[in-house]
Amino acid sequence: MKKFLSIGFVTGMIGQIIGTAVGIGLLAGIRALMGLAPKAEPAAVLGAALGIVGFMIGVGGFRDWFAWAKGEDTYEAEEFHDRPGVIRYWGYSLDHKVIGVQYGILSLLLMALGGTFALIFRAELAQTGMQFISLDFFNTLIGMHGMVLIISILLGISAMSNYLVPLLIGAKDMAFPRLNAFGFWLAVPASIVIVAAIFTGGFDTGWTGYPPLSARAPLGMQMFFVAVFFAGWSSILGALNLIATILRMRAQGMNMFRMPIFAWAVLATSLIALTATQLIGTSFQMVSFQRLFGMGFFDPAKGGNPLLFQHLFWFYSHPAVYIFILPGLGIISELLPVFVRKPLFGYRWVAMSSLGIALVGFMVWAHHMFASGMEEYLRVPFMYSTLLVAVPTGIKFFSWTATIWQGRMRFATPMLFTLGAIIVFLLGGLTGPPLGTVATDLHLHDTYFVVGHFHDTLFGGYMFPLFAAIYFWYPKITGRRMNETLGKIHFYLMTPSFLVMTFGQMAVGLLGMRRRIADYDPAQGFQTTNFIITIAAFLIALSILIFFINLFVSAKKGEVAKGNIWESRSPEWSILPSPAPEHNYAQPFKVVGDPYDYGLKGSKFVETAPQQSADQETRGTHG
Amino acid sequence: MYNLTAPVENKILIASANPLFRKGLEKMVLGRYGEATIVRATTTTSETLDLMESWQPDLVIVDYDDKSISRAEFLRQFVAGDLPMKVMLVSLQASGAVVVYDRRTLTPAQAQDWLSTPQITPQTEALISRRSSSMKHFVFAGVLVLVLTFLVDLLLSTTRLLPVQASLQAQPIDRLFDLEIIAISFLFSLIVVFIVYSLIVFRRKPGQEEDGAYFKSNNPLEIIWTIIPLGAVIGLSYFGAITLGQTRQADPAPLEIKVVAGQWFWRFEYPEYGIVSDKMVMPVDQQAKLTLTSMDVIHSFWVPEFRVKQDLLPGENLVRELRITPTLIGEYKVRCAEMCGTSHAYMESPVIVVSQTDFDAWVQEELAAIGTDPAARGERWASTNGCRSCHSVDGTASVGPSWRGLFGKTVELMDGSFVVVDDAYLYAAIVSPNAQVAKDSIPNVMPQTYEGSLSNDQIADIIAFIKTLQ
Repeated sequence: MKKFLSIGFVTGMIGQIIGTAVGIGLLAGIRALMGLAPKAEPAAVLGAALGIVGFMIGVGGFRDWFAWAKGEDTYEAEEFHDRPGVIRYWGYSLDHKVIGVQYGILSLLLMALGGTFALIFRAELAQTGMQFISLDFFNTLIGMHGMVLIISILLGISAMSNYLVPLLIGAKDMAFPRLNAFGFWLAVPASIVIVAAIFTGGFDTGWTGYPPLSARAPLGMQMFFVAVFFAGWSSILGALNLIATILRMRAQGMNMFRMPIFAWAVLATSLIALTATQLIGTSFQMVSFQRLFGMGFFDPAKGGNPLLFQHLFWFYSHPAVYIFILPGLGIISELLPVFVRKPLFGYRWVAMSSLGIALVGFMVWAHHMFASGMEEYLRVPFMYSTLLVAVPTGIKFFSWTATIWQGRMRFATPMLFTLGAIIVFLLGGLTGPPLGTVATDLHLHDTYFVVGHFHDTLFGGYMFPLFAAIYFWYPKITGRRMNETLGKIHFYLMTPSFLVMTFGQMAVGLLGMRRRIADYDPAQGFQTTNFIITIAAFLIALSILIFFINLFVSAKKGEVAKGNIWESRSPEWSILPSPAPEHNYAQPFKVVGDPYDYGLKGSKFVETAPQQSADQETRGTHG
Repeated sequence: MYNLTAPVENKILIASANPLFRKGLEKMVLGRYGEATIVRATTTTSETLDLMESWQPDLVIVDYDDKSISRAEFLRQFVAGDLPMKVMLVSLQASGAVVVYDRRTLTPAQAQDWLSTPQITPQTEALISRRSSSMKHFVFAGVLVLVLTFLVDLLLSTTRLLPVQASLQAQPIDRLFDLEIIAISFLFSLIVVFIVYSLIVFRRKPGQEEDGAYFKSNNPLEIIWTIIPLGAVIGLSYFGAITLGQTRQADPAPLEIKVVAGQWFWRFEYPEYGIVSDKMVMPVDQQAKLTLTSMDVIHSFWVPEFRVKQDLLPGENLVRELRITPTLIGEYKVRCAEMCGTSHAYMESPVIVVSQTDFDAWVQEELAAIGTDPAARGERWASTNGCRSCHSVDGTASVGPSWRGLFGKTVELMDGSFVVVDDAYLYAAIVSPNAQVAKDSIPNVMPQTYEGSLSNDQIADIIAFIKTLQ
């Protein structure tokens, strides 16, 4: 029992329960003292917020900072040692690899949950009429599907960045290990609160939460707001940490243009996350305050304007799409050279295109609002800026194609998912221009065409690369490879099912099926296609179930991975053993070449022997 | 397998009278290429030229600043000769920079790149034959791109992708769709053909262990594939803007229809005729100017056959406008396209496009129907104002209480008190629905705007109608 109570997750949960009770009790107590009847909504909001704080205290997220505030000494991050075994993933750790895996586990859990929501409403949509669930539950599910998976994606990105960035750039850990742990643990209670939204009445707005609808939705809306607020906070802290790590902690000789390309992608993503996430927190907080305190920010009857919300919301939520995809595109660029045995074509252009996408991404938000009734003169300028995104994205595609061209390709599972990512993301990209040009968007806006489009971009830009990354780096975590046959079944089952699903969605969208409808008019003739989409969705779920089985079984029974199994030039494969040891590289390495010079005989990216550099010596004596 | 330190037989000649220059470079070169590299050093011009002749090194590095080596003589010999070798004149005087023979200034890192290009051991013929075969592949793939573009475009343009085209505004939009489909077909084919071609033709065959062709970057190519897409997107935006303008062209004398949306109904008002209807009837080939407003949350007006879409916002200062010229007689449906709560999926109303004669007949019929019986008028107001989407008249349970048998009934309120449903209660329940909510109803669902949107006479008519439902 004592041992059980020493697990960080358990103490955190206890903290959250106490915090929630304190929050609810506090507000009920104050109202009782003032002689007012208890009110559910403010109490629930305060309870949820204090519950999250309680979790953070319980898990130990504040412990060292409190100690410093009191002037006490704590251990250095380098002296930190985890508990041996799997138990270390359940508690507070400062090791970026452990935190990376923790992010990964939470992300995959939420992915399974969000996917399950989709399966429920897809089953409902297989036929016209309402068969299994109520209209309100359907409406809650679509919003939950959206937001739970968005949080899952943010956590998945943090998982990849946290685990990989220090390994790739030769750092011992992240720049701020305690902040890193804090950022992760914040996401845990936030995830619990968002799930609580289902049990507190749900909400019927979709993930976008537009007022005035969100201002009058059930209590679940407030849980949703609180959860997004804290998850966004976690994302901002993670981004800050990654930027500092990438800028300050690279190995000797690794100038910016010798960084592994994934680090560039993470840098671009983190810059967006650090500067834009505040806006979604603010916009939801304003709706929350409208509900709690009657502040009429978005209420026309009180001089507010509902369009203001949409501007604030999309100012984050459009760049957020690039937060979701840039790391995935980085994974594609990172893995391609390894499996085609060729240099990444146009490294600098690929690196700069990530920053280009990040920059242009800030200037396009109002393309979500072409039909919203915003000032009409804004539509054409936003159409121009939106289509500009095609330029840096095009550079990436052309560079990948040139990288693959004449490559000696090997079809290991990570490579299959990388190729799948390129093709699926291409479909997502190509279905963008009809949505970006105002006239065609007036037809397509808020239809299933949009649904098909963004599932293509998010699968191509996140899901496929995530699977590629897991199959590729899994041995670095566990010391064992994932099963190749199961991996291939996963790929060959998921890819065609996914393509059928999104093509179906786009087809019914073009023909006039609206987004977020619980039922559809049989006269429009969508029944067959919707039935096929549902079947495809269940096949995708089956393939992901196979992936999960592979993930668990291979940890114990997988083939032992010895040495540089992928023949990668990257330091985590060419220098480190698998699984990667605590505190990474025992001895710092030095960068002596370019990262992706596959095919150049005799060249090296990194070497460990710390030797006196010859050119420095010559320059010193000669000059 | 892919051994990165495979022996390369490099022969490198270093010409400098300065021993530190010689030793430093020698150490660097050996460190870089390993023991397989043979490095020899010379100190005079003649010795260097002799060794170049007899030993035939792959790379000659000449100390640019060494006065005892005549670089003019050396360059003349080198340019006149036909030996396949690389020469690098290195100056270490400029601090932090290395000057090479063509006087380009490179950073140390770039000079290392320059050193490490594979031309150190050029097999010129092999290179040329590889280039020409690569060109052949390139041309072949290019042809496949064109073929696939044609096929994809054919497939997409022969499939029925869009609903029937039933408005003037839909015509330019559909033309823009066609243009975009061509662009999509081409770009899809361009990327997919080159990737799939590579997968099939260049993939690693069994037994092959060597790496792929080494090429790394090509700035002119990168600039080309930046500039061309830039031009293309600017062009597409330009056509997009023209098309948008065409959909917004305003006729001087349109038919005005006021569209009011609420949870979950549509109401159409024809101010010219004083008609209020729950279905939208439009004469063909005459532009309608829709002024759109919402009573509660955001809704969106969309008839897929007309293509154009516009959100309806609550608030008197946020009334929006949409122009539609129907071109095809038929029955369509307006479908709310913005998530608006529980019954969003069912927020659909008929849109009927008729000939001018039929439209006139419909107007007459509607005007005649506004009769003298208050209950009949009330029934009309109830259906045109959306009351019926939440209140049934036959006793079935819905979002709000059914009206059948409601008048005269005693109901329990949320605070536990009881009230008899009479004229006064019904009036209060319509204008301020949250004041006295029945126990089994949900507060905050019914719009609180009826006091403004219905006249007192209309409310009295509706109450008269409810009274008849016993």
